[in-house]
Amino acid sequence: MLRRLVFPRLVDLVLVVLGVSVVAFLMIRLIPGDAVAIMLGANSEVTPQALSELRERIGLDQPFLVQYLRWAFAALHGDFGTSLWTGRPVAEEILANIWPTLELTFLALAIGAGCAVPFGCLMASRRGRGTDIALRIGTVLGLTIPSFWLGIVLILAASRLLPGFASLGYVPFAENPLGNLARMAMPAFALALPILAGLSRLIRSAMLDALGQDYIRTARAKGAPERVILYKHALRNALIPFVTYLGISAGYLLGGAIVVEEVFAIPGLGRLILGAISERNYPLVQASILMVTVGFVVLNFAIDVIYVVIDPRLRR
Amino acid sequence: MPVDLRCAAFIALATLVSAHGMSEKAIAQEATGAPLQLAIDSSPAGLDPHIVTAFNSVAIVSGTIYEGLTAIDKDLQVVPGLAESWSISPDGLIYTFKLRPGVTFHDGTPLAADDVVSSLRRVQSKEVASPLASRLVALSEALAVDPLDVELKLKEPSAPLLAALAGIAIVPRSMEANKEALQKTPIGTGPFKFEAWQPNGFILLSRNLHYREAGKPKLAGLKFNIVPEAATRAVGLESGQYELLPQVDAATALELKEKPGIKLSQTLELSDTVIGLNVARPPFADARVREAVNYALDRQAIIDAALFGAGVPAGPLSPVLKSWARPVADFPCYRHDPQKARALLEEAGIAKGTKLVLRVLASRQDIKDIAQVVQAELGEVGIGVELANEETGQFVQDWRNGNFDLFASANAGGVDPDEFLYRTFHTGGSTNVFRYSDATVDHDLEEARRLSDRTERKAIYDRLQMQLACSGPIVAIAYGTLFSAARAELKGYEIMANRSLVSLRDASLSP
Repeated sequence: MLRRLVFPRLVDLVLVVLGVSVVAFLMIRLIPGDAVAIMLGANSEVTPQALSELRERIGLDQPFLVQYLRWAFAALHGDFGTSLWTGRPVAEEILANIWPTLELTFLALAIGAGCAVPFGCLMASRRGRGTDIALRIGTVLGLTIPSFWLGIVLILAASRLLPGFASLGYVPFAENPLGNLARMAMPAFALALPILAGLSRLIRSAMLDALGQDYIRTARAKGAPERVILYKHALRNALIPFVTYLGISAGYLLGGAIVVEEVFAIPGLGRLILGAISERNYPLVQASILMVTVGFVVLNFAIDVIYVVIDPRLRR
Repeated sequence: MPVDLRCAAFIALATLVSAHGMSEKAIAQEATGAPLQLAIDSSPAGLDPHIVTAFNSVAIVSGTIYEGLTAIDKDLQVVPGLAESWSISPDGLIYTFKLRPGVTFHDGTPLAADDVVSSLRRVQSKEVASPLASRLVALSEALAVDPLDVELKLKEPSAPLLAALAGIAIVPRSMEANKEALQKTPIGTGPFKFEAWQPNGFILLSRNLHYREAGKPKLAGLKFNIVPEAATRAVGLESGQYELLPQVDAATALELKEKPGIKLSQTLELSDTVIGLNVARPPFADARVREAVNYALDRQAIIDAALFGAGVPAGPLSPVLKSWARPVADFPCYRHDPQKARALLEEAGIAKGTKLVLRVLASRQDIKDIAQVVQAELGEVGIGVELANEETGQFVQDWRNGNFDLFASANAGGVDPDEFLYRTFHTGGSTNVFRYSDATVDHDLEEARRLSDRTERKAIYDRLQMQLACSGPIVAIAYGTLFSAARAELKGYEIMANRSLVSLRDASLSP
C-alpha cells in the first residue's frame, strides 16, 4: 500500500525538481541586467574592462549550458555554491533565513486551524442565526483585509497601547523564547487571519453538508449528545477539504510571506528570495527556489498520507 | 464554548509575552550598555570596502569599521585619517604619508606602512576587480619607506588624489590576495568592529576598545537592523525600538517632525537627480535641443511637486561643495522660459510632436515623481515623452549600453569636483554613457586634474560648469534634502552630505 503511494511521488519529485531547476536557472539569467551590472549600480566608476573581469571572476563568461551543468553537478553532490557577493555558502544563508519562516508557518497554521474548527462548527450549528451571520461577516473581512495593512495597523496599535513592547525584528527561540514569541505574535496573527477566515467558511459548509446526512439523523435518534454529533461524527467527515486547504496554505507560507516579513522586519525566506532576485544572486535564487519546490512536493505527499489516515475508504 | 477558550488562551499568552518583552529589554540595556539601534532599508551585498559601492554598504563600513589615509570631515574637507600628516613634492609626483603610531587592526595586529601598500595594491589588482581602481589611475607605485612612512609615486600630478584616498580603506596586508574573507568578516582600524551578521536581519558592530583616540567611541556598539518598510522604521523610532534612522524620506520626515522625543536633522545632498540626454542620437545630438530642455523645465516647480519642497535647483556641482559650486543664478538657461524653448526647438528643426522615451529608475519614488513633472513640462514645449519605469537591473543595462533617448536617475557626486565631472563628461569616461565628447571640455578636465593651485582649478571648473549646465548631456534637476531622524537621547550625531555615519564615533546616548 505504502509503496503504491510513495513510488509515483518520488518520480514526481525528481521530474518537478529537474524542471524547476532548469526554469529557475534560465529565468533569473534571462531577465535583463546581470549580477555584475546590478552590483555596481548606475553610478559606479567602473570601466568596461573591470566589468568583464568581475564577470569572469564569478563565472558568468561561460555559456549557459556549461554554467547549468556545472551547477547541477555540484548540487547533486550537495554543494549549492556560495552566495555571489558575501561568499557565504548558500546552504548557510538559507538555513539562517528558514527558521523564522518555519516558525511563522507553524504559528499561523496553528492559530488559523485552531480557531477555525470551533468557529466553523459554531457557525454550522447556529446556521442562519445571529452568531452565524456575525461570524460570516467577520470571515469576509478576514479574507479581504490586506495583510500589509493589518500588519502596520497592528504595529501602530501596539506602539500606542503597549509602549516599549518590542514587536519588530527577530530573535531566535533558543536564545530568548519569550522575546521570540512576542515578536512573532503579530505577524503570525496577520498571516493567520485569512487562513482562519477561509477555513472557517470551508468547515461551515462541509459541516452543513455532513449534518444533513442520514447517519447524523441516526445518531440524533439514538440520543447522542450534540457535542459528540458535531465533533465526532460530522467533523470527521468534513476533514478532507480542511486538510487540503491547510496543505495549500502551508505550501504558500513556506515559500515565504514576503509582505508580512517586510512589514515586521523578519529575516525569512520570502525576503531572502526577493533580495536574491533583485541582486541577481544566481546560486542563492536557484537553491532557494529548489528548496521551496521540494517543500511543496513533500507537503503534497504528506497531505495524501493524511487523506488515507482520516478516510479509511481510501485504503482499499 | 471551546471556541472562546482557545482564542482567549492565545490572547492571554500574547499579553503575558508582551509584558515580559518589555522588562527584558530594559534589563539588557542596563547590564551591558546596549548598542545603538539603527534601522536601514536593505541588506548590504557584502562588507568588503574595496568591492561594495551601494550607499548602504558603504555607510555601514566606511568611517565605522574602516578608515583611509585621509578622511573627510563634516564640511567635506580633507583632513588627516590614518596618516597624521603628508608632504607633496614640488612637481606633484611624490606624496609621502606619515602614519599615526600605535594604531592596531581589530584582530590585534599593528598598522604599518606595508598594510597601506598592500591595500592600495589590492584595489588595483585584477583578481579583486575593485570598482575603486579608477580612483587610483594616477598611482604608479606605493613604497613602504619605513614602518610608518609610505611614499606614493604618481604617473602625473593628480589634484583629486587626497580626497580619493579617504574612500580607500586600509585593510591588513594578509588580505591582499584574499578576495573573499572581508565580504563576510571585515577587519579594519575604525572605531567599531564587526561582531555578527544575520542575513536580512541585522549587522552588529561593537566598540573597538583599542581605538586610536582614547575614550572613543562612547557608544557600546552599532546594530544596523534591516527594515525594508518605511512605515515600520518610523513606528519603530517612535516607540523607541530604533534610535537612529540614518535616512528618512521627505514625507516621513514631515510626519516625524512634530513627534515628541524625536530629533530631525537635515542637510543638502552631494548627489542630485538628473535627466540624462543621449547625444549620440537625434534630437539631443543638437546642443540647441539640450538647451531648450533646460528652458522648458521649471526646477522649483519640480521640487515643490515631487520633493515636497525639500531640495534646491541643481547645477553641475552640489552647493554643499561651497568652494567649487557656482550659484545656479549664473546659468542663463535656468530661467523657466517655454517661449525660448520652443524658439530653440524650431531653430533646430525639431518637428512638433516628436515622440521620445524617458527611462525611469523606478526603484526611487522621488525619481518617478520627478519624471512625471518633466514629462508634463516637456510636453508643453512640444517634446512628447513616454515614461518607461524600469526595474533596477533593466535600467542599469540600458543605461550602461547607452540605450536611451532620455533617462531619469540620480548621480552620486564626489567630494572633489574631478571625481564626478571627469568620469561623466570626459570623452570615453567610465560613466559617460551619453557619448558626450567635446574637445574644450576634455582639455579643461585634464588641466584641472593636473593643477594643484586651488584658485586656478576653480577658474577652470567655473568655466566648465557654465558650459555643462546649459549644453551638457545632463540636465541637473535638484539636490534633495537628506533627513535623519533620531531619538533625542542620541547626542553628537551629525548628518553628512555624503551620507557617511562617521560622526557616530563621537556620539553618545544619554537620557
